[in-house]
Amino acid sequence: MRNSKLTPVILLLPLMAVTLTVIIACVNVLLQSLGYVPAFGLTKITLGYYREVFKRPEFLSALWVSLRIAFVSALLAAALGTLLCAALVKRRAGSGMLYTVRFPILVPHTVVALFIMTLLGQTGIVARAAYGLGLMADCSQFPQLLFTPDYGGAIAGYLWKEIPFVAYYTLALMASVSDTLGEAAENLGASPLRRFFSVTLPMSLPAVSKAALIIFIYAFGGYELPALLGSTLPKALPVQAYITYCSPDLLQRPLAMAMFGVILMLSVLMAALYSLGIRRLIKRLGGEA
Amino acid sequence: MKRGRLLKSVLWLTAACIMLPAIVLLIWCFAARWPWPGILPESLSLRTVKELIFGSAKLPELLLSSISLSFAVAAISTTIGIATARATELYEFRGKGLIRFFSLLPLLVPGTVLAIGAQIMLLKVGLGDSIAGIILIHTVASVPYCITIMTDVTAALGDKFEEQAATLGAGPFRAFFEVTLPNLMPGIMSSFSMGFIISYSQYFTTLIIGGGRINTISLVLVPYIQGGDRSLASVYAMAFTLSALGVFAILELLIYNVNKGGKGADA
Repeated sequence: MRNSKLTPVILLLPLMAVTLTVIIACVNVLLQSLGYVPAFGLTKITLGYYREVFKRPEFLSALWVSLRIAFVSALLAAALGTLLCAALVKRRAGSGMLYTVRFPILVPHTVVALFIMTLLGQTGIVARAAYGLGLMADCSQFPQLLFTPDYGGAIAGYLWKEIPFVAYYTLALMASVSDTLGEAAENLGASPLRRFFSVTLPMSLPAVSKAALIIFIYAFGGYELPALLGSTLPKALPVQAYITYCSPDLLQRPLAMAMFGVILMLSVLMAALYSLGIRRLIKRLGGEA
Repeated sequence: MKRGRLLKSVLWLTAACIMLPAIVLLIWCFAARWPWPGILPESLSLRTVKELIFGSAKLPELLLSSISLSFAVAAISTTIGIATARATELYEFRGKGLIRFFSLLPLLVPGTVLAIGAQIMLLKVGLGDSIAGIILIHTVASVPYCITIMTDVTAALGDKFEEQAATLGAGPFRAFFEVTLPNLMPGIMSSFSMGFIISYSQYFTTLIIGGGRINTISLVLVPYIQGGDRSLASVYAMAFTLSALGVFAILELLIYNVNKGGKGADA
């Protein structure tokens, strides 16, 4: 380790510029959400816009929709991604399979939306296959997943993209744990299932849970998938906030910012809960294992 | 081995789920008529491909400008990654936890919030609707990944080689550029491709910061997806995805060659 005082400061300047941009962006959103928009002649700081927003039914249903998308996507992606990762590690998947698993990570969300439409729409390829196999008599019998208030299409899109993300994110850690401690557990007489659930899985949880947090924040604040695959009403929170932001009525601006403020604060809250709670939980699981 | 077969089928099912939509989309690109309930189109045509190449959207220019923009972002983010990793891994100072937090901060702020908040700032300093503003925000979005990758490779490489070069009389700049940088190359390439992919995929940030005046392939695609012409949407989506994969494959090949070259030099 080197001791120079000045060099690390210079090396960290670009990161400081990035950090400053993020902080200024957040402060701007929060200030406007508190009613401070000098450009519109608004300078009185108030919590009134948050109170107003929480009275609006379209905001409350949007908040619920987005929380649901984020929780379901993050939890299912974490569970299925861990399973996929275990399969990749256990079967010592070759580079062809690894490249296939990496593919969804490289596909932009807008293209994922189109994928889901051609796959899971009522006249999509899955419905056509079901009809061809005689499972249903008409395309209207295929469950409607897209453009519904359940946001099944958006969740399916996130899962298609994020299950491989979790697997890829966890792969290095799980492979090394499985090769060392997992191997040791098996030599000491643990069954393969016990080896996985008592050793490999708990030791891989730091990577899995971090991936789940990233997915939660992305799915909670993401725009593309719910905008392209969601229902007219209720909208997802980022979509609702953006529509309010675009309103020609300038007094809607602080209301939109209050919605973005809620997205920001809940994301930060989730990250804080993660670093407080999940870490402790992982330690306990790891300690008992 | 029943369990072995179960895991194997998990892998094959995953591969099928991943590849199926890509194959269906590829068929849609050439479908002239594909009515319910056919598994394959009734007739094929090259209409959409012609529209893509000769149509009004000027795809080649659009791809070129989008790729250049994302290359700039990838280069800047990777440079920030190299510098930050060097500071935290090779130097002793207090507050490394805070630096780690700053590196990951952009992941905690959703892109929608970041874009809206940054737009207010950029308008104030006269960078609204500008390429510079878009590069800045894309860089913020990709920097956490680039720092993570560069930190891993810098920590693995350590300080030994540069110290040896210094002992042999190389100045600090020469030691860095001629000894450390070539050894970091595989990490630099994967950081670059990660930065590229994240920037290339951005939609909402470009929409907000560009103010509708700056177009990337990501922005042009969305109205086609929302419109009724499934074949045309598919062909644009295919061009978008394949161009991303193409750049990614070239970078992968470079990593492979660099790795091979490195091993050859060791032997």
